Amino acid sequence: MNVRIGRIAVGLLFTLFVTAGYAQDLAERVSEYTLDNGLRIIMVEQDFAPVVSINLMFDVGGVDEPPGLGGIAHMVEHMAFKGTRTIGSFDVAAELAALEELEVAAKALEYAEGADIDDATLAAFEERFAAARERAQSLASPNALDNLFSANGGVGLNASTGYDRTDYRISLPANRLELYARVYADVMQNTVFRGFYEERDVVREERRQRSEDSPQGVLFEAFLAEAFRVHPYGVPLIGPPDEIEGYLATEAEAIFDLFYHPNRAVLVIVGDVEPERDIEMLERYFGTWPRGPEVRPEIPEEPAQTAERRVEVTFDAEPQLLIGYRKPTVPERDAYVMDVVDYVLSNGRTSRLFDRLVTEEQAALSVSTSSSFPGTRFPNQFVIIAQPQAPTTPAELEAVIYEELERLATEPISESELTKAKNQLRANTIRALQSGSSLASNLAYHELFLGGWERLIDDLEIYDSVTAEDIMAVAERYFVEEGRTVATLMPEESAAQAPEGE
Amino acid sequence: MIRRLNRSFFLFATTLALLLGITFAQQTGSNGVPTGIPEEWLDPTALTFEDIEFAQLEPTRHVLSNGIIVYLLEDPSLPLVEGVTYLDVGSLYDPADQVSLASLTATLLREGGTQDLAPAELDERLEFLAASIEASASTSLTSVSFSSLSDNIDEVLGLYADVLSSPGFDARRLEVARGRTLEAIRRQNDNPVQIAVREFNSRLAAGHPAGYYPTADTVNAISRDDIVSFYETYYKPNISVMAISGDFDTDTMLATLEEVFSDWETGEVSYPDLPEYDPTPEPQVYLAQRDQEQSVIIIGQPSVYAYTPAYNDLSVANEVLGGGGFSSRLFTEIRTRRGLAYATGSQLGQGFEYPGTFLAFGITRTDATTQVLSLILEEIRTMQQETVSPEELEIQRSSIVNSAVFRETSAAAAVQRTARANELLGLEPGYYNRYIERVQDVTVEDVRAIMAQELNPDQMLIMVVGNAEGFDGSLAEFGEVVPIDLE
Repeated sequence: MNVRIGRIAVGLLFTLFVTAGYAQDLAERVSEYTLDNGLRIIMVEQDFAPVVSINLMFDVGGVDEPPGLGGIAHMVEHMAFKGTRTIGSFDVAAELAALEELEVAAKALEYAEGADIDDATLAAFEERFAAARERAQSLASPNALDNLFSANGGVGLNASTGYDRTDYRISLPANRLELYARVYADVMQNTVFRGFYEERDVVREERRQRSEDSPQGVLFEAFLAEAFRVHPYGVPLIGPPDEIEGYLATEAEAIFDLFYHPNRAVLVIVGDVEPERDIEMLERYFGTWPRGPEVRPEIPEEPAQTAERRVEVTFDAEPQLLIGYRKPTVPERDAYVMDVVDYVLSNGRTSRLFDRLVTEEQAALSVSTSSSFPGTRFPNQFVIIAQPQAPTTPAELEAVIYEELERLATEPISESELTKAKNQLRANTIRALQSGSSLASNLAYHELFLGGWERLIDDLEIYDSVTAEDIMAVAERYFVEEGRTVATLMPEESAAQAPEGE
Repeated sequence: MIRRLNRSFFLFATTLALLLGITFAQQTGSNGVPTGIPEEWLDPTALTFEDIEFAQLEPTRHVLSNGIIVYLLEDPSLPLVEGVTYLDVGSLYDPADQVSLASLTATLLREGGTQDLAPAELDERLEFLAASIEASASTSLTSVSFSSLSDNIDEVLGLYADVLSSPGFDARRLEVARGRTLEAIRRQNDNPVQIAVREFNSRLAAGHPAGYYPTADTVNAISRDDIVSFYETYYKPNISVMAISGDFDTDTMLATLEEVFSDWETGEVSYPDLPEYDPTPEPQVYLAQRDQEQSVIIIGQPSVYAYTPAYNDLSVANEVLGGGGFSSRLFTEIRTRRGLAYATGSQLGQGFEYPGTFLAFGITRTDATTQVLSLILEEIRTMQQETVSPEELEIQRSSIVNSAVFRETSAAAAVQRTARANELLGLEPGYYNRYIERVQDVTVEDVRAIMAQELNPDQMLIMVVGNAEGFDGSLAEFGEVVPIDLE
């Protein structure tokens, strides 16, 4: 069959129309409530199947951590799965007493490790700690919270910690919503950090797996430390290894007490809900959760950058290249323009960087970009990551990328190329809403940080207003050498000298 | 609008308190410790729920005049249409000296343009429409998919049909795809998990195409003629099954499909004989020495076919052992109680052309390598010798039946699953519904018996990627150690 090309104008008109229709439809299905304690609850009626997807998000993340406790936000997130005084304990009084003794033993061991003592004395402290840990373990059921949700058909029980926020997710058969409310209202008020020191070791393993044995993990950590020398976006999100190894349970509990309040959270429920009926039940449980102080740590600004920053790491892997540029964040208009630039540069085979680096010059295996890395609460970075294809070197790849960025700043983008990027941005916004859990987390994030859940749809109008001149202007303003950080990963000497591949 | 079959499932009304062994302290715990629970809150393990009925999504089946079987499922909830064509051919038909042929054919089908459109023109048009077409080959199937906003569907289907029925196979784009494949091979030892999985699979299925991995030689041996020939041999409408869901009208969709695919001609497909899948891996320990912080450990063996009764029992046993997430034994023992790993568990593959693989894994710090290896083997052996507790089994059985509703939450997933199960995998209609019923009858003794019958830890292949200098013991305790050279 022959396909005629030439209906260029149709695309944009259409996507405007369908997304506008969807926006109105979404607005009609949303019910919003705020409990007396400040908890915002958003329910979205979606009766495709009798299930609910739930996201409870806090405006607390890695950036809020005190010095010396890097990664503690993530550790707290792990501990929120350990159960409560009424979920998991065989004998709550005995268990709490055992956990107190364990904490003393943990602190004593920590001091002993830093002291000048003989091995036998140290071993005694280790044994005391091990015995206390075993005693506490014997008084509780492991993974009781997960067992309860699993047996009730829950799927996707998970949580994630970012620099900006922390969220807790699950999907359940719709008639198990009360089970969710009972368990999570309890977790927020009566959590027990049981198994803390075992979990500290788990997180240490997670760090080894994600950040130490992974070339990308190593590269990103080095990049962030260089790009953010003062701002906490530069601290590893999972925490530095020595800080992880030094966490105490009481420190994590203090972080939980300080930050986990209903007035800092949004609860989004998407699915087969009846808001007027369900809000009463939700209030019965979550309404008992007391409002708390909103402690906002002073987060230092990253000072002005005056010169390019470069870092090279060596690793047993083939080369990788990561380039970042400082930029402002939303709601500044330039941040939205940079989102469109992201599409122009790397979304799809015809995007500028993919077309030139991968298809035309065969200089890279892959290339991708992100316009808001590693978070959006604070000024962030536009990043470009590429894997050079031999024999191209990272330095050669870098030079070609700079040519493309320069072209963006000096030649106006054509109307059809701009329209294509906007079409893709709109279509991807819709595609991201296909799953209930993705819709729930998107709504929660927009409600917490971007001025309301409605921004998810309303922001599309800002994107539509972006012009070719806007693109040139931001490229000229931000793609500058003195705003740049470049991180490269290179093979170790021995590996580099070995014959290449097959 | 959404057609659903009126077959009902009943989710369990739960009285899980006893079954789950989850203790519930009263409002005041022992010794008067306050629990913080308001009086009206119920014991979560005693919360009971009404039976919930749900209807299953029921796609309609059609056959186009050139033999393409089409499954359709309307879903107007978003202005999108998604579809996939499964071709009954995969990398199992790669010649031993041309590994990647099926995969490169699929890649070039998409990237090489059509008879009418140069590659760049095709890419440009699709991306302007914010649509996509993608193609890839797995071991058993080749999948060619599309996604489109519903208002552009006619044009996108036209392009999609051209890609499938009159591809251009542009020679320069072949060299781009080849170059990227070679670069991926050059990078194949960058990541320890990737190394472990590849080295494990290639040894487990040694001598069978399921164990083939490409090398620079096998990729360089593939010419454009080989690709065209593979396409002409296998890309036929009569071995194709389509699954389409989204915002469309079924009659209109069928008429469009008839029109755009009218030029795709049928042809007899004859498949070469595959070598028999008869792996008898020696009970060996393989060590890929590499300087890293953790060891990646995989232990496993070929197991059962998915359509056999043994699969039902073994799949439940696997959930208890390590497939059931937090609730499973490997997770509880190795992660929760001992803090030895972030990632640990087990998997049972669904085998159709050849038996599924059973494997257990753990990723642990170097100086806990043999400890974790021993713990995994011990958990397997324990389940062969002793029955699991009724509580553990009940969590997994309840989980399977109560989460069944989540199979009906995506029209795209439902139509694709139905098309594959009914037309390509040789499963009886309603297989999954019966699976759910059957697993409810699995007993603790069935679990023990199937573990003893189907798994043999003494004969399992053990793969370790890590730095032996720092291990906490000797791998030789587990069998003869065969080094793997990663260069």
